Amino acid sequence: MPKPFEILLDSRDAWSSLRRRPVRSSLSALGIAIGVVALIAMLSIGEGAKQVALQRISSLGIDTVRVESAPPLNAYAGIDVANLSLSLSVADAERISAWLGTRGTLGYFVRNDEQLVAAASRRALVTVVGASADWLAAEALEAAAGRLLLPSDDARQRRVCVLGARLAVTLAASIAMPVRAGNQLCSVVGVLRPKGRLLTEGTGLSALDFDNALIAPFRTAPIPRRGARDRVDGMLVRLRSDASAQVPGVAENLTVILGDARRDVTNYRVVVPYALLNEARDTQILFQLVMGAIAGLSLLVGGIGVMNVMLSNVAEQTREIGLRMAVGATRARIISLYLCHASLLCLAGGVVGLGLGVAAALLVQVYAGWAVAFSALGLSLGPLSAVIAGLVFGLHPALRAAALNPALALRES
Amino acid sequence: MLLQGDNLRREFTFAGKSITALAPTSVAVDAGELLALTGPSGSGKSTLLNLLSGLDRPTGGEVRFEDQPLSGFSDARAAALRNAAFGFIFQTPHLLPYKTVAENVALPCSYGGLHGNAAISERVSGLLEYVGLASHATHFPHMLSSGELQRVVFARALINRPRVLFADEPTGSLDADNAHRVLSLLRQESVAGKCVIMATHDAEAMRFATRRLNLDKFAYAKTV
Ligand SMILES: Nc1ncnc2c1ncn2[C@@H]1O[C@H](COP(=O)(O)OP(=O)(O)OP(=O)(O)O)[C@@H](O)[C@H]1O
Ligand SMILES: [Mg+2]
Repeated sequence: MPKPFEILLDSRDAWSSLRRRPVRSSLSALGIAIGVVALIAMLSIGEGAKQVALQRISSLGIDTVRVESAPPLNAYAGIDVANLSLSLSVADAERISAWLGTRGTLGYFVRNDEQLVAAASRRALVTVVGASADWLAAEALEAAAGRLLLPSDDARQRRVCVLGARLAVTLAASIAMPVRAGNQLCSVVGVLRPKGRLLTEGTGLSALDFDNALIAPFRTAPIPRRGARDRVDGMLVRLRSDASAQVPGVAENLTVILGDARRDVTNYRVVVPYALLNEARDTQILFQLVMGAIAGLSLLVGGIGVMNVMLSNVAEQTREIGLRMAVGATRARIISLYLCHASLLCLAGGVVGLGLGVAAALLVQVYAGWAVAFSALGLSLGPLSAVIAGLVFGLHPALRAAALNPALALRES
Repeated sequence: MLLQGDNLRREFTFAGKSITALAPTSVAVDAGELLALTGPSGSGKSTLLNLLSGLDRPTGGEVRFEDQPLSGFSDARAAALRNAAFGFIFQTPHLLPYKTVAENVALPCSYGGLHGNAAISERVSGLLEYVGLASHATHFPHMLSSGELQRVVFARALINRPRVLFADEPTGSLDADNAHRVLSLLRQESVAGKCVIMATHDAEAMRFATRRLNLDKFAYAKTV
């Protein structure tokens, strides 16, 4: 085995002989560069998708199960769907809550989007949520000023509300100020800490911007009920942190409880963020397989190009190889020389590919709107795979060079 | 004996037929000798040089350096022997076109022998001075005449202070003046105690030799 300083000497020589054929070298390095571009783009887009998925899941809560009412997916012939109590109801919530016991908290709500609210002379179009007090706890909402809703607010039918952080600014509202919503007044008892939106894209859940919402007690919330006073639009179960491993089981039981109560007409949707994690992982794996295959194929094609160029380099440098052997190069050093040659060629392509790959990923972000993210590991994988391609595809030409008979090599004209 | 070949024979097979490049030949040389290998073209002078220097392996017979058979040498050991104890001068000067004259002279040092940049560059400039090319150190081979190139090769052959110099028609591509210079240098080295083996058909070159070995394909080579 050549020593490190000998490999350094060989790379220096390899680099100079590479530079003697700029066109040939760059063309063959280009093939590798394209493979690395695909690799970097794949990794950074995949990493971006993963981070988005993680953000979404942490926004929804890994230890939560969310239920929302939805149009029925299935209905038996003969069952008069209209006669069923189609929506989720407080009774459903209470049944689930009773089953849940101390394993977690269940909150429920009704909502109305794009409702006009006004305070003094200011007005805003917001989402009005009528929520059980436990819902605020389950969503982990916190008060920046005043207080959150209490169970007693609902029990005593108090006309109070809590405002999202941005809504409070829009309305210039302060504690105890009356806010008009629909045709009723409620008094502000608290302002929420900024919380942002629920990242519900792709989950089937309705979007909710906490910062731009008015939250009132379930019963007194100024939301048109159309006669169904117990109608619930959604439920949220948050398990105690030590019970979070039970998420899948809870989701299953919850489905059973809801199904029993409505003869299996599925007019609700259960979303388990924990399962989204797996789903996201599956799509990511698929994406990475496809892109990985593309990157691998282009590296393969690029590598074959490099092998081809290295074979002609060896053929052209036959006399040089003979000379090096005459002045004392062992076969191992000849192999080292040509492996250095091939890997430097590929490394050059890899570095160019790294730059182009990052640029391509950024273009995808700007023009296609996909999230991309770069990791040190992903970025170093580009040049690394190029060098590995160099070693793999340079091996055959290098062995060929080393197998030359020096006496015959020197005779070559 | 410093270097000896016993019954050396080299055959090539080409298109199923065996070609004799060198008929069985024995030769022995010692330090201080300048042996001229002569004989008609195709008689196997280059082949014999290659066998003696370990660049090629004989079909039959044995080469011994200081009584050690080369056939028992590993690739690495044979390479180390060439690096440390042998120097080569070819008919047409082989130099690496992308290295300067000084770097070309120092080439053997990347494979062993002298090490340390300072020591190497000192030795290189000493040698370039010796062959009369001190002012060409930073030039590239394409900037030199063939006579100058051959002297660069000569300097390279000497860098690791070899015991044996192999010269295959060292004057073959040179005019009379340059040929004379190179031959004088070779003679000087042999007088200084090196063993020089030179293949040639140049009558002038033969005059510099201390001994001649005439090769004939159809007869055993005999010392004249
Ligand atoms: N690789 C080879 N394959 C087949 N035949 C070869 C090979 N190398 C040498 N020969 C043959 O061996 C013979 C001797 O060759 P060699 O080069 O040793 O001759 P030479 O004495 O040096 O001749 P010259 O004076 O022309 O240089 C020649 O007939 C040549 O054709
Ligand atoms: Mg010859």
